[in-house]
Amino acid sequence: MPDKNPYEVLKADVLDVIEESPTIKSFYLKPERQFEFVTGQFIELSLPGIGEAPFTPSSSHYEKEKIWVTIMNAGFVTNEIHKVQKGDVMGIRGPYGKGYPLDVFKGKDVLLLGGGVGLAPLRCLLQTMIHDINDYKSITVCFGARTPDDMIYKDQIADWKKHEKIHHLCTVDKCSESDIWKGKTGVVTILLDDIKVDPQNAIAVVCGPPIMMKFGTFSLLDKGFKPENIYLSMEKKMYCGFGQCRHCVMGKYYACKDGPVFTYEQIKDEEKIWD
Amino acid sequence: MVVSKSDLIKFFNSIQPQFDIFVPYKTEREIDDLEFNKYDPDKEFVLDKYRTVDPVRALFYMPSESVLPPSAKSNKRIIAGVKNCDLLGLAVLDDALLKDNFIEPNYKIWRDNSYIISCDCTDALQTCHCVLLDNNPYPNNDTEGQALFDLNLSPVDDKFIITVGSKKGEELLEKIKEECSLAEVTDNEKEILEANRAEVLKKVRDINTDFSMDRNYDVITENKEASVWKEFCNECVQCGACTNICPTCYCLILNDESTKEEFRKVRSWDSCQLAGYAEVAGGGTPREHRWETFRNRYQCKHNFLKYNFDKLGCTGCGRCISACPAGIDLREVIQSLQEV
Repeated sequence: MPDKNPYEVLKADVLDVIEESPTIKSFYLKPERQFEFVTGQFIELSLPGIGEAPFTPSSSHYEKEKIWVTIMNAGFVTNEIHKVQKGDVMGIRGPYGKGYPLDVFKGKDVLLLGGGVGLAPLRCLLQTMIHDINDYKSITVCFGARTPDDMIYKDQIADWKKHEKIHHLCTVDKCSESDIWKGKTGVVTILLDDIKVDPQNAIAVVCGPPIMMKFGTFSLLDKGFKPENIYLSMEKKMYCGFGQCRHCVMGKYYACKDGPVFTYEQIKDEEKIWD
Repeated sequence: MVVSKSDLIKFFNSIQPQFDIFVPYKTEREIDDLEFNKYDPDKEFVLDKYRTVDPVRALFYMPSESVLPPSAKSNKRIIAGVKNCDLLGLAVLDDALLKDNFIEPNYKIWRDNSYIISCDCTDALQTCHCVLLDNNPYPNNDTEGQALFDLNLSPVDDKFIITVGSKKGEELLEKIKEECSLAEVTDNEKEILEANRAEVLKKVRDINTDFSMDRNYDVITENKEASVWKEFCNECVQCGACTNICPTCYCLILNDESTKEEFRKVRSWDSCQLAGYAEVAGGGTPREHRWETFRNRYQCKHNFLKYNFDKLGCTGCGRCISACPAGIDLREVIQSLQEV
């Protein structure tokens, strides 16, 4: 058969598992051969005999030997994946979908607005942009989580802050007195009051739970960001990854094939994009 | 070219060792039902009449197949007696499953190794409504690379007029010629063919006189919130029969059946009508209400697929109407929307 089987799976060894928060773990995977993808694209990660689910890698796309995948325990498959240990074997197929259009981002102020496990794809984008940091005018990182314990990648903030072009802001929804927390308290959109970019010309990339994506987008529009400059990573049930199973259909678009990255301008008229 | 039914049987018998042949037979269940079965020289097949109970899709996209590794077999197959509504269905599946870099491995193997012999309808079921979709109960004979069949048969008395639709069809015709001598079509036979086609077309039109021939699918989008959806959906039991029986549905779920030795993925039919279809981990779903799920099939067939492939997902076969245990008639739903 001359055509490549789109379901082909690459074996990946689990090199390490890191607990990022009580519900989120990162898996450090070594695919059996180099794995090429573009930031924003997703993979189907499978646990042999159990099932598979779509995830966006959280490591830079320049890293082809080993990839990070950050996963929240949210359903049947992710619950099983959370039991995976160093030395186990998983499967990767993909990459699928369209990534972030970095060429469009170059020379501009880029704002990353993320919440919860939505930081995972944004970390991939951030690490990729850091590789070519001179190409971008500035990068503003606005990260939110429910509590300080739920905030992932805390240990990496210092590294990001070393770069002059990166401005890092973070907030948690609530914080008890016993928590050691130096950031703000409140939903992630409050960080937008402190950003120092010109919204008319800036790019915003939003990823997080649906409710956060919705209000994040509306706040960005209020600030003056243009609908065509707001990039959203849509979460839908992407079974096959390449527009055949139809589970992720959003009106005329497939989240898997035409996305998962869409501009707000593209999908604002489709129904129930936030559900 | 014209072939007699007895010569066609001779041809089937002679190539049976090299080809798996599938033809419609009357079922033992219902007097009117036809279904595809493996060719059996001792049983009388029915090439003409009307569509089979199951769509021909089921011979190309099995209910459950391993896609990694692909389980399709590369036996050469002849599928004879395919009706126009099924040909149009295969055209949608070709667009969906054989596109860009993503080729459904089994579908490609089955499709590449199959020869399709279609046949004009000579009768119609009460659910048949191809005419409402601007389709005919016989294939388009345009043979300039556009034909959806390899060979088409048009019944004339106890013979069939053969139309070649593709290179594969030419190949088949050569094989038929090896077994029997074919006569040229006479003017009289041409006239009978046209008269037969006009008659069956009228029959399908007469069945559908209650429905507007001037169908407008924008009404589905325009009346997204209309009470029509809720009224018809009241009867729906979400069994998924309408999608499983459809000649163009191809939604799938993947199961991972990998072992320590090898990765293995099994693809099965799914249905957007089943609960939980679009639900993501954590419980979010874009179609919260049952009537939205019900509406999705209409949007998919008439709006989304039209946008995706510039083809309608409904070919007018009427199988979803026959299969629905609640008696929901797609024609009535569209008609009601047009009258909102």
